[in-house]
Formats: sequence, structure tokens, C-alpha cells
Amino acid sequence: MAKYREILIIAASAAALFICLAVIILPRLVPLPPVSEMGNARKILSDALKEKSDRYSAGYFNEAVAFYDSAMICWRTENERFIYSRDYGRVADYAGLSAERAARASETSKITRDSLKNESDLKIKTLEGVVRELNERFFDYPLSPEVRANISRGKFLLTEAVIAFQDGDYLIADNKLTESEYLLATSHELANDNLKRYFRSFPEWKRWADSTISVSRANGDYSIIVDKFSRKVLVYLNGTKQSEYPAELGRNWVGDKRVKGDKATPEGMYKIIRKFNSDSTKYYKALLLDYPNEEDTASFVRAKARGYLPQSAKIGGMIEIHGNGGKGANWTEGCIALTDRGMDSIFNMVKIGTPVTIVGSMYDLRHVLKR
Amino acid sequence: MGLAAIAMVAVLSSCGKVPQAEIDATNAAIEAAQAAEANVYLPVEFTALQDSMSAINAEVEVQKSKLFKKFGPVKEDLASTLALANEVAANVAVKKEEVKKEAEGLLTSIKAVIAENTKLIPKLPRGKEGAEVIEAIKANMTTVQNSAAEAQAAYDKGAFMDALNKIKAANTTANNLNAEIKEVLTKARIRF
Repeated sequence: MAKYREILIIAASAAALFICLAVIILPRLVPLPPVSEMGNARKILSDALKEKSDRYSAGYFNEAVAFYDSAMICWRTENERFIYSRDYGRVADYAGLSAERAARASETSKITRDSLKNESDLKIKTLEGVVRELNERFFDYPLSPEVRANISRGKFLLTEAVIAFQDGDYLIADNKLTESEYLLATSHELANDNLKRYFRSFPEWKRWADSTISVSRANGDYSIIVDKFSRKVLVYLNGTKQSEYPAELGRNWVGDKRVKGDKATPEGMYKIIRKFNSDSTKYYKALLLDYPNEEDTASFVRAKARGYLPQSAKIGGMIEIHGNGGKGANWTEGCIALTDRGMDSIFNMVKIGTPVTIVGSMYDLRHVLKR
Repeated sequence: MGLAAIAMVAVLSSCGKVPQAEIDATNAAIEAAQAAEANVYLPVEFTALQDSMSAINAEVEVQKSKLFKKFGPVKEDLASTLALANEVAANVAVKKEEVKKEAEGLLTSIKAVIAENTKLIPKLPRGKEGAEVIEAIKANMTTVQNSAAEAQAAYDKGAFMDALNKIKAANTTANNLNAEIKEVLTKARIRF
């Protein structure tokens, strides 16, 4: 009995010792998961998100997220296996890759954001300059409705871009600026090209104007020059400018008159062929010009023959310098409108045969733009 | 003896059970917050919520990796994250209402400015600033009206943040136009 008890005690002691050893040793044999690597990856990912990497460095950020997700899947899969046969090597690898990509995403995001911020700032300033120039230079220049709409849309997109920039959303600001830049730059280019094309006739205008002033000097008499671009009627006596009057023109005042009804004011060297008093014109007083002159008729016939104008087109006429002006707009059908007071002054100076030269501008384009 | 050890390991390792019900409830609360557009209206709070859940998921795996599992702290974290998710969902409703009200206010204001501009445009001198200027003002008005209509459509769809972003620029442009028109009218001494 004593022997049996002794055996029992030994067995119990052995079991207790075994259990103690198991409790101490077995947990130490369990493979350890890469907890700190995963924690590190998670922290760097979170920081990357704070840096808005999901927007400014989406490629790297999405890769980082995908690697982290893969690490979690591997971890779960390993945890399903028998505890002593688990291997967390791939989990650690994925965690490392995730951390590396997230760090790169953060860095790239910062660089992209800073660069977008600087670029947008510069673009905003440049485009505000373009808008200013469009407003100043083409304020009352006849532009097509399409160009007007593009300028308007471009300006609006610029406003949206400025708001996004102020909110710190440089990606949206950049997108809006790209759209705005396209619309404003193309409109600006179209308008400028149009202006440059128009001023190609400047040497001819200058020749006409010089000749008109010479005639005034030679005859010791009055001559009139109409400067369409500055909207002025200039009166010369003995080759010297005596006075100038604000004028209003046809709505499509840029370019020469081509056909009846085009609302353009013709360009060329003309003469007054009739004077109308208040009782014979509805425009207060009027000075009828000899439009179309020979040159106008020849170029009209040529344009028709070449098919530039329809066969039914008419050259038009009845181009006058008349009163009823001062409306502030270019509203006539092609005539030159002065205020009634201006008309009174000119009417008393001129006579039948007084030269009237209509030019696009008395000054070259560079001078006009500087002004 | 070997069998006893295995039995012991099995017993010890199954001490803690994954709090699946709590995890599901917290995930559902986060999804509800996302469905309420917390990511749009409260992005910072929503990101914090996601970070918190991500840490919990990792901690669950940490415990599952151990011989002796202990899910008590995980349960506590889940409870606080669930509470946070519910708080974010409640806050998003408040924030959404604020954004809605702001968008509503700007939409009402822009409608009044557009109506005033539409009334003033015919009064512009044909004019003191020229027909081309009137054309430019009209073109700008069309752009503003289109943008206001887009913002209204976004608002009607319930996309209040989108509506607010759209209406801000339209409002600025409409007010600038209003000032421009009034300046022209004042210069021309036309009463408005």
C-alpha cells in the first residue's frame, strides 16, 4: 500500500513537473507573428492617408493598401493552421512592402502637392493676367458669340479653381485651371490673331492718312480722317489737326465693308458728295460719302467673280457721317455717327469734295496695344 | 502523458473566443457611417474610425496567434469603436444638414442675384459701355445660370457637398456681374 502511494506521489510529481514545464516551454515554441511590422505598416499607411496620398499619389498608396490587405489575409490563413506549424514570413514580407510603398506614397504626395500648389499659384496669376488683358484689349471688340462664351466659361473655371486652391484642393484646382487655360488661351489667341490680321493693312492705312493730310496741306483746306480703332473723327486744316470728335461705327466695325447689310464701316479714301440738313435726314445732319468708290466696286466685282460673295450680293451704299451719335455703342449700319454738337461743328467746316479717309487705325498695333 | 499535454494545450488555447458578434456590429456601424457619407462630410473622423478598426482586426489576429488568447481588451476597443462609429454617423447627419443649409442659402441667394441681373440687363445703355459689353455680360450670365442649374440638380439628388462646391463659384461670379452691371448703370445715371 505504501509502495503504491509512493508510486502515486512520484507519478503526480512527474505530472506536475511536466505540466509546469509545458506551461513554461510550450508558449515559447509558438511562432511569433510580425506584430511590430504590421503596426508599423498601419501607422505609415495612416500617415500617408493624412498626407492625402490616396489622391496625390494614388498608385503607391493603392499598392500599399493591397500589400497590407495581403498581409492580413496571410496572417488569418496562418492562424487557421496548427499553432506550432504556422509561418508568418510572408506576413512580414507583405507588411514590409506595404510600409515601403506607403512611405513612398507619403513622400510623392508631399512633392506632388507642393508642386501642384506652386504650379496652380503661377497658373492662376498668369490666367488672371490673360483675363485682365482680354477685358482691357477686347472690351468692345467684336468677338464671335462662341469666343465670348469660351471666355466666359474660362473665367468661371478660373473662379472655381481659385476657390479650390483656397480650400487646399490643388488637384481640383489644377483640373479646373487646365480647362480654363485651354478656353482662355485659345480665345486670347483667336482674338489676337484677328487683331494682328486686321492690322496687316496698317501700311495702306498710313499711306491713305498721310496722303489725306498732304492734300489738306496742299489745298490749305479741310480733310477728315476717321480712325476706327480709336473711334474718332479727326479734322485737319492746312495739314494740321484742328479737332477730334468721338464717333460710333457699324456693329461689325473691324474690317472693310464687303457687302450690303454686313454692318461694317468701309475703309478707303472718299469724298463728301452731298450735305443733308436737318430737314432732309433723320440723323440730324449728314454728309454723304462717295462709297462705293472705284476701288470698292472693283474689289466687290472681283470677290463675286471668285465666288467669295454670292451672285445675289449687293455692294450697298449711302455711307454717311451723321448725327444722333453719343449712344456709346457701335450701332450704325456702317455709317459714322457723331453727337449732334460734333456734327454741327464738322458740318460748317466741310464742303462737297472734302476728302474723308476711313482707316482701321492711325497708329500701328504695338502703339495701340501699349495704349 | 503526451495526450494530457495535447489536451491541456487545446483547453488553454481555446480559452478566449473571437468576439465575432461585436466585430460584426462594429463593422456594420462603420458601414452605416459610410452609407451616410461620413467619408464625404467628415473625412478626418471617418479615417480615424477606419484606422481604429484596422488596429482591432490586427489585434484579433495577434490574439489568435497566441497559445493563450485574451480578447478582453479587443472587446473594449470594439465597444469604443462602435460608440465612435455611432457618434460619427450622428455627427455626419448634423454636418450634412449644415452643408445642406449653406447650399440652400447660396442657391436662394444666387437665384435672387440672377433675377436682379436679368431685370437690370435690359436697362443697360445700349449703350454707354457698348453692345459688345452687353454681349459679354449676357455670356457670363448664361454661364452662371448653367452652373446654378447644375448645383440645383446636385442639391436635388442629395449631393449637398457637390452642390455647395458648384454654387460657391457661381455665387462669386453672379455677385461680380451684379456689381459690374450696377457700375455701368450708375455711370450712365440710370436708376435701378
